[in-house]
Amino acid sequence: MEEGVLRVENLSKWFTIRRGLLAPPLTLRAVDNVSFELRRGEAVSLVGESGSGKTTLGKTVLRLYEPTSGRILFKGRDVTNLKGKELLWYKRETGLVQQDPYGAMPSFMTISRILEEPLIIHKIGTAEERKEAVFKALEDVRLTPVEDFAFKYPHMLSGGQLQRVAIARALILGPSFVVADEPVSMLDASVRIEILTLMRELQEKRGISFIYITHDLSTTRYFSEWIFIMYAGHLVEKAPTKELIREPQHPYTQALLAAIPDPDPENRKRYREVPPGEPPSLINPPPGCRFHPRCPYVMDVCRSEEPPVVEVKPGHYVKCWLYAKK
Amino acid sequence: MPEVILSVKDLCLYYATRRGVVKAVDKVSFDLRRGESLAIVGESGCGKTSLARAIIRLLPRNVHTFDGQLLLNGQDIMKLDDEEFRKEVRWRKISIVFQAAQNSLNPVLRVGFQIAEPLMIHNGMPREEALSEAKKYLRMVGVHESFAERYPFELSGGMKQRAVIAMALIMKPYVVILDEPTSALDVITQANIMNLLKSIKSETGISYIFITHDVALSSELADKVAVMYAGEIVELTESEEFYTSPKHPYAQKLMASVPTLRADKKLEFIPGTPPSLINPPPGCRFHPRCPYVMDVCRSEEPPVVEVKPGHYVKCWLYAKGG
Ligand SMILES: Nc1ncnc2c1ncn2[C@@H]1O[C@H](COP(=O)(O)OP(=O)(O)OP(=O)(O)O)[C@@H](O)[C@H]1O
Ligand SMILES: Nc1ncnc2c1ncn2[C@@H]1O[C@H](COP(=O)(O)OP(=O)(O)OP(=O)(O)O)[C@@H](O)[C@H]1O
Ligand code: SF4
Ligand SMILES: [Mg+2]
Ligand SMILES: [Mg+2]
Repeated sequence: MEEGVLRVENLSKWFTIRRGLLAPPLTLRAVDNVSFELRRGEAVSLVGESGSGKTTLGKTVLRLYEPTSGRILFKGRDVTNLKGKELLWYKRETGLVQQDPYGAMPSFMTISRILEEPLIIHKIGTAEERKEAVFKALEDVRLTPVEDFAFKYPHMLSGGQLQRVAIARALILGPSFVVADEPVSMLDASVRIEILTLMRELQEKRGISFIYITHDLSTTRYFSEWIFIMYAGHLVEKAPTKELIREPQHPYTQALLAAIPDPDPENRKRYREVPPGEPPSLINPPPGCRFHPRCPYVMDVCRSEEPPVVEVKPGHYVKCWLYAKK
Repeated sequence: MPEVILSVKDLCLYYATRRGVVKAVDKVSFDLRRGESLAIVGESGCGKTSLARAIIRLLPRNVHTFDGQLLLNGQDIMKLDDEEFRKEVRWRKISIVFQAAQNSLNPVLRVGFQIAEPLMIHNGMPREEALSEAKKYLRMVGVHESFAERYPFELSGGMKQRAVIAMALIMKPYVVILDEPTSALDVITQANIMNLLKSIKSETGISYIFITHDVALSSELADKVAVMYAGEIVELTESEEFYTSPKHPYAQKLMASVPTLRADKKLEFIPGTPPSLINPPPGCRFHPRCPYVMDVCRSEEPPVVEVKPGHYVKCWLYAKGG
């Protein structure tokens, strides 16, 4: 078995929301007691409802947010509390493709400058070599002819083009672990598959480990070994990709898969069945199972006690009372 | 058949850049009827958002050419100056939900106030009345009216998106442009929003221009589909036709590249690179990537052919004698 690159133990990230001088601050539990492991060269797709804490989990693992509790181990080292030079080492070893490419790019820099910046910060190459690296990176993400894009400013690019710049930037330092936060959400199917194929090749060639955050379950089966499903700050299901798509176990995962359309002109004539209600508040999460107010199979125990994580098959974990031996 | 509410003819929007002129929207034409949804699909960077911007006239500073005809309910709105357009058309008759709009809510203003704002600004409606109208629209999009008092961070992504949709509806426009309204949301929330848009459509008879790169999703709303490639519409037809037998080679390739969750299928993408919009390929813009390319495609612009009543394809394969 390949060595584990990343090991996350009971990681939590809670935000404090201040509401002026008089009101007591609130605690928002964006990531709550999450554990998983990732091996070298493997990709895991992190899927879940909007606002369930996917971005927060990714950023906390990369030490862009301070963890509230828990441990992060990277290549055998505890990186939970690294500081200064050592933290810089961790940053160089890791990369982030930011979710919102519009917000992630400094508007006063040209695309080529944006890509060159990390190389300059880490003092890599001569000006000539850096330019070459930047052009190569643009070519890799199919922003061609390169000259049409290199000297543009971010607002002159379409959403999908900016996303590709974000990918190029995250990979330019040659990291060994990357969190790609919805890196292709604005791309059409063809370019999406092309870019994901490219990321997959780089991943295999350079042995990069990926956390691929996405809403697009239909591509996960081709580009990741594992799928983790997140709901309201918890990982509610973890399984090998194909198995999860074939046999989803958690009621939330089942609803998620049922909501995905295939192209069909009949779709517009019918309403799609979805679980009732809203995703829960992370400030006052429902007691017991956080999905219980929307769950079609809810039982008494679900309303009061947090479900355990059950290994239903080797490597397939579900956090749900339906699978617990009573 | 219901009447045409928006008629777009030879619409062009070009941008000026250091490298040359970007022809983002190039002679685009289509008709939108009352109560109809037109989906506009196409690859990233082909000009979908630019088309939306041109219709609602929210243009960046570096416009090179903005030209063509836009008839809204028979009125030539290209003739209006910017001030008249702002007062009479934008939000009032045509509104838009922008790409990633849920992030565009102002974080320090209450949600209800933000929805009510257009009524106060454009209609001079008193604050209290506008706020109660905003609550009515919040209910309509399926958000409890108590959320009018909340700030954006207190809402889930899907609720924010519904608030933005309420904002686009509150002036009772004829046409709402939806630019990737759900591409940032999970599929359950997305299905929820699609259900909402369907029910609003059947209740109000509003018309949608639904921009998306997601062909599967487009079928949730589209009565008609327009396929855009390199600034042009290359195919336009009823959705029954489109999803079962797309005609343009690009449209066929696009459909073939859609991964499906349930069936194991070999993934394909369209070889070659998206064309430059500064120097688009001569002849048919798709010719360098087309599996059926013929000599004529390389040098002469293909005509728009009506292959069946109401089914238009811009391709030499379907031209008589071509
Ligand atoms: N800096 C912050 N301060 C306070 N709350 C935050 C902060 N960042 C995120 N949150 C909250 O934490 C929760 C999780 O947010 P996060 O962005 O991680 O979700 P997500 O799963 O990435 O959602 P999406 O699919 O919409 O991107 C949300 O309720 C969000 O409002
Ligand atoms: N202000 C601008 N100046 C110069 N070029 C621009 C400007 N805005 C957009 N473009 C270019 O025009 C083309 C069309 O952009 P547009 O945003 O309309 O694409 P899109 O079809 O909406 O793409 P996406 O699906 O990625 O959002 C792109 O190639 C883009 O780089
Ligand atoms: S624990 Fe109970 S409420 Fe939660 S998903 Fe399982 S059955 Fe449904
Ligand atoms: Mg996120
Ligand atoms: Mg766009």
